[in-house]
Amino acid sequence: MSGYFAGVDIGSSMTKVVISGEGVVASVIGPTGPEHRKLAHKVMEEALRQAHLGFGDLTYVVATGYGRINVPFADRQVTEITCHAKGTHSLLPSARTVIDIGGQDSKGIKINDGKVAGFVMNDKCAAGTGRFLEVIADALAVPLEKLGELALSAPRPAVISNTCTVFAEQEVIAQLAGGESVPNLIAGIHEAIAARIFGMVSKLKIEREVAVTGGGAKNIGLVRALEARFGYPLLVPPEPLITGALGAALVGKEAYERAIRRGETLERSKTGLREATFFS
Amino acid sequence: MAYVIGIDIGSGFSKAVVCENRVVLSSAVVPSGGNYGEAASRVAKAALEGAGLSMADISFTAATGYGAEAVAFADRSATDISCHAAGIHHLFPSVRTVIDIGAQFSKAISLDGKGRITNFVLNEKCAGGSGKFLQLIARILHMKLEDIGELSLTATRPVQFTTGCAVFAESEAVSRIAEGALPADILAGVHMAMASKIVNLVTRVGLARDCAATGGGAKDRGLVRTLGSELGVEVLVPEEPQVSAALGAALLAPVGL
Repeated sequence: MSGYFAGVDIGSSMTKVVISGEGVVASVIGPTGPEHRKLAHKVMEEALRQAHLGFGDLTYVVATGYGRINVPFADRQVTEITCHAKGTHSLLPSARTVIDIGGQDSKGIKINDGKVAGFVMNDKCAAGTGRFLEVIADALAVPLEKLGELALSAPRPAVISNTCTVFAEQEVIAQLAGGESVPNLIAGIHEAIAARIFGMVSKLKIEREVAVTGGGAKNIGLVRALEARFGYPLLVPPEPLITGALGAALVGKEAYERAIRRGETLERSKTGLREATFFS
Repeated sequence: MAYVIGIDIGSGFSKAVVCENRVVLSSAVVPSGGNYGEAASRVAKAALEGAGLSMADISFTAATGYGAEAVAFADRSATDISCHAAGIHHLFPSVRTVIDIGAQFSKAISLDGKGRITNFVLNEKCAGGSGKFLQLIARILHMKLEDIGELSLTATRPVQFTTGCAVFAESEAVSRIAEGALPADILAGVHMAMASKIVNLVTRVGLARDCAATGGGAKDRGLVRTLGSELGVEVLVPEEPQVSAALGAALLAPVGL
């Protein structure tokens, strides 16, 4: 079945767009910015440019994520749990448990036969989300991207007893003043986050293989700390940020193919690709 | 004349109260800083100066708080929970529930008619229910901590925070400010979020009247008022809510001293 399907995943920090044809033909990640609706179309434009397509070439567009209702050019909105499950399943068919570590939340998703079989989420507490890492990176004046490798280089992870981001930050600064090294502190923080995430995901009946997605999956130190908790290797897709958008594109493709089989027409969004306004 | 001093070394602030015959002569509050031993000397000196006395005049020293062990010159020490209870019972004998809102810890304490502790719970895990939250918000509003209470009372449209987490609320507050929300309304919203967490603590020990608030957070009149309306009771507050535990420590002095 030919045709191009787009998935738009509007997260609290990053907006991701995937255009899928016979395979992924374009994927773009851009900042969400303070008003979701204003930047989604820009990321879509960039994706279309990369795919050498026009908006009219797209057969169907699905939006997901935190800001999915603010994508006026999307034909359908689908929850991110469904999209993450579908996207991860297509990239890593053996994954039965997915841990998604985003900028402001973290989730655990069970997948059975490519369908969501259970999920848990923390979006109430900054600890256990990407935000915790940002706060610590700031406090230690280390770029976010360097945290992982620094953690891996630590000879002895510090023990951080506070589970709250605010108090852990204080504790890190106090330990730093007391002479503890930056790598040891970063490693200690990764262990704290891993413990917290592991605790959350354990509420599901964890089945291998376990995959990690989202921005947190790009942090090798965090992945290793999680692996130490689980006791076995975890799978990480090559571009862990796009699983939601990919899943959204695939959901769109399936919906379209189903409609064709039934001889139905899917309703499309009436708005073209443009910046969202107050009215839509 | 026997002068006694009670010293409470908290994670944020150190407090001292000088008493004579169980009457408060003077008190002092100073930031603890990183060295609790030094903070103890500093706060004792400040309180003594306020009473026109020196350490040589003191017959008895009692210590309490997170850093009580650092008060090397103490004759006795006691837990801050028991000192809060003793201090509040002395000031308000009718109180049966005490809410202590510190910089890092919040506690709910149940007392009997004699001021003895019958139950307590504490939150030390989450900044959202502690004075720290107030400090974070005061900072982004460029306000002094001691001014936020008064301003919050003027709120007409309290901001509804979607989160109880101090970290997420801080970001949310920044967005709301960018959208034009007034500082008073931000503060009122923060008070609501904090009150929610504190009410949970109180529910765990069971609310019994009368109810009092103590600790630095009790100096925030807006927070106290919000707590009162969420709990459905009037919340009593001592004139110097930060020094209740130091007072309780001073009251540990043997009778007849």
